[in-house]
Amino acid sequence: MREFMDYVHSAFYEATGWNRDNSYAALNSTPDALLEFPTPRGLRLTLSSLSSPNFATSYELGSVGVVDGSISYLYSSVPLRVAIESRSERISLPSLLRAYRPLAPLTELKPKTSELTGGLDVAKSSLLYGRLYLPQSLLEALVVKRISPALQVQFSAVSGAHLRNGGTTVGLAQYDVGRYALEGLASSDGGLLGFRGVYNFGGDAEPPKVAAPAENGNHSERERIYGRFSTGGEIYYGTLNKSGGISLGARFATLPSHKGTPLSATLTVNPLMGTISANYAVVAGKHCSLATRMEFNVFSYESSWAVGTELWRKPLPRLVDDNYGVPKRSFESKLKWKLDDPEPVKTPKDGDPEEYAGVLKARMDQNLQIGVLWEGRIKSLLFSLGSGIDLRKTDKPFRTLGLEIQFSS
Amino acid sequence: MAFNFNWSPLTADAEFYSRARDLLTKALNKSPKPPIIVDDILVDELNLGNVPPDLEILEIGDLAEDRFRGIFKMTYSGDAYLTLKTRVQANPLNTYLHSKPSFTSPKPLAAASSLTIPISITLSEIKLSAFIILVFSKQKGLTLVFRNDPLESLKVSSTFDSIQFVRDYLQRTIEQKLRDLMMNELPAIIHRLSLQLWCPDQANKPGESPADEVDEKGVDPFISPPDDPVDANGNLLDANALSELTLQGAGDAQSLFSQKNLLRLAALTDSHRTLSLFTPGIRDVVFRAWTGHGDRSEAVTPAMAPPSLSRTHSLPTGTSTTYTFSDTSSATQGYLPSRSASQINLSSTSPGRAVGTSSRSRPGRKKKTRVVNLRRNKSQIETMSEAETESETGSDTISEGPFSEPLMTSSIPEMEDEEDSLAESLASKLHFTNEEKKPAVPLNQSPLSQPPLVSVPSEQTSSIAKALENASKKLVVDSAMPKRAQTKHDSSSDSSSVILEQAWIMKMAGEIARRVYDEKNRQNNNPSGGVWEDQEAPQEAPPTYEAAIH
Repeated sequence: MREFMDYVHSAFYEATGWNRDNSYAALNSTPDALLEFPTPRGLRLTLSSLSSPNFATSYELGSVGVVDGSISYLYSSVPLRVAIESRSERISLPSLLRAYRPLAPLTELKPKTSELTGGLDVAKSSLLYGRLYLPQSLLEALVVKRISPALQVQFSAVSGAHLRNGGTTVGLAQYDVGRYALEGLASSDGGLLGFRGVYNFGGDAEPPKVAAPAENGNHSERERIYGRFSTGGEIYYGTLNKSGGISLGARFATLPSHKGTPLSATLTVNPLMGTISANYAVVAGKHCSLATRMEFNVFSYESSWAVGTELWRKPLPRLVDDNYGVPKRSFESKLKWKLDDPEPVKTPKDGDPEEYAGVLKARMDQNLQIGVLWEGRIKSLLFSLGSGIDLRKTDKPFRTLGLEIQFSS
Repeated sequence: MAFNFNWSPLTADAEFYSRARDLLTKALNKSPKPPIIVDDILVDELNLGNVPPDLEILEIGDLAEDRFRGIFKMTYSGDAYLTLKTRVQANPLNTYLHSKPSFTSPKPLAAASSLTIPISITLSEIKLSAFIILVFSKQKGLTLVFRNDPLESLKVSSTFDSIQFVRDYLQRTIEQKLRDLMMNELPAIIHRLSLQLWCPDQANKPGESPADEVDEKGVDPFISPPDDPVDANGNLLDANALSELTLQGAGDAQSLFSQKNLLRLAALTDSHRTLSLFTPGIRDVVFRAWTGHGDRSEAVTPAMAPPSLSRTHSLPTGTSTTYTFSDTSSATQGYLPSRSASQINLSSTSPGRAVGTSSRSRPGRKKKTRVVNLRRNKSQIETMSEAETESETGSDTISEGPFSEPLMTSSIPEMEDEEDSLAESLASKLHFTNEEKKPAVPLNQSPLSQPPLVSVPSEQTSSIAKALENASKKLVVDSAMPKRAQTKHDSSSDSSSVILEQAWIMKMAGEIARRVYDEKNRQNNNPSGGVWEDQEAPQEAPPTYEAAIH
């Protein structure tokens, strides 16, 4: 299940108008969410609250043999209450749990102020986050600071006794102007330096004057697959351990305005290691998404595959009538020797939060390792029940089993 | 005396190689592997070659038909080779991310994709040079401990020999790893192999079986709980409490015993206390008294026992001396042999003391722990003369008594030095006369019925008597000696060492006084005492055993 703090974190980006997905690191995020979702282990209870518009807290208690937990605090300089619904009985499940996320529109010129922030200057916005794991005494800290509408700096650190040198820090500078986005990072661990960038073309990345005649002219143009291409690369170099890595990638994904089947296809290549990976995710039906991944290594001829799916479930219809089929006539209509007036058919309201009751996710890879996850809501509690199954070990197939319960206010 | 080492029967055994391969594979995969190794390490080929190692005997501590304890110097440059197979992760970024917290991970998209490569590594031209402590008994198998880092050089050839960087890295890493294996794993492997070879019945006993079997039995006593379970305090447990314990997990697993067994054990220990002749019988237990007389001193020698065995021994000396050998490995070479040799003496005599409480001391027992110090003859070979002299003093003081700390020997005040050197010379002379005598009369059990000693010249013995007399006089004159020594020392050194030294001096003085007193008593009892009587004195109280008794 997506953690509450992650949810709040993304709400911060939403409020400040930052597109989190316009990054090379997020190129594969849709298939990854379908193919590599984590399954819970043991019992885990989370109590979270957005106690003030700027401040969120979360307490977590878990038990996997031993009891552990974590305390986390988050401070945002922009008020977040308008951007998200924090109460767990009102949170829209698709926004919290949906794996297949349609592309967010590109914003060429980021607004200086956002209506969500209530007219505050976006460039002044910042976010502070800290989390302490007990009893491991592991501390996580994150600072996000917008310097200008297009430039954002992130600084994250982990401190723990078991880590080498007592901890690691990573600094990340992100520059996003819509059509292209660049990132540079530096890590204290091994002196790793990294640079990655993504370039968008086609679809909404093109100037609107090309799209305008197509819209006015023939509608058959609209029938074609309408989407955006993104391509990019990354390079890393560890200055202390003299190691490095490089990869190139390209993605095609349909835009939300596309009328046909939404899909996302990604191809990544690692020229040093000879790995080619192809990911494909598609919204197969109204309540179903599918994803596949094929990997092949040209040097070692090793290959792997994985498939994943998510199925959204409607709530069970509640039976109102006592006897099935024939409705009871009221006493009045019996007196008048006529049938009741036909009642207006109940239609689900447009803004009904109970549009979905839950989602079932499943994945499987070439090692016959299966992950199953069922997430949903009971009253005001969000739950997540999952298991990792290894079909190779027939004597003890259930490797992990877990239940997560989350309440937030 | 001649030893016959057979190298070929080991290699001639067809099953030996497969067994050794299995054990080595297990040992290599036991510890958590670094993230760069993604598969199990398989021992593909193992050949010990035809060239045996050169062994040089430095010391022999114990020698009998069925047991042996000695220190060797081994050099090996044979044609043994070993081939390992595994798979490694070739992407450095992948291994870099492996053990890092995900929160600060750079989250690369595809740059960390894995590429595993099968690799085969051949280790050959192994050159070893080591000091080895070898302890063998037919009952307990063979224990072999390296005192220093045995690996001198070896050649590593692998699939990636053409790449200079990889070759150098592998050479470095494997040398490091192999040193670790030699020092820590190999003794255990050899011990297990020897158990299978020489005493298969011992190998299958639960107390001495390999660790996995012990684990299976030790981890879950709830699979078949005893009929009348009690906890560690002897309180009875009913079924509910037992199920609770089961739910709580393995934390309390060790504290579950059968009440019957506890009562039996209590009766057994009580019988020792009360001098009662009745010993309650416990099934499936081998009592130490039942085993052969010759093996008794071996039975408690902890260095031979596998680590799991120390639990079954009730003697505290068993656990305390288990670590003697491994500890000494960290110290310097030249100094060590004598020290650990004397520790062998101590450890072998202390069980004698422990046994002595239950069964009264016999004169024949003391002969069992004799020292055949062949090192003296080899002293010309030793190049480090200083280390050698130090080792000598170390051995001498150790044979004196419990004040065997070498640090103190070096910091004795001058005033003491005379006494000390006197006592030392005395002790060493006693010591060596003792030694010389033992091989002369190997069959005689009682020292009292020994014929007069021929090998010791009379001048020497008379000088001993003189030295004793001198010592006694000095002691009478300097009755306040410890105090003086202390005041002398206060000015020069700090307080903590003074306290230590004071304690040492007191002990020393007491020791000397007691010895002199014994000597005088003897002389008073036998006024006609001549050469004969003088020789009796060292025989009845060999210094080594005084150390153990006090």
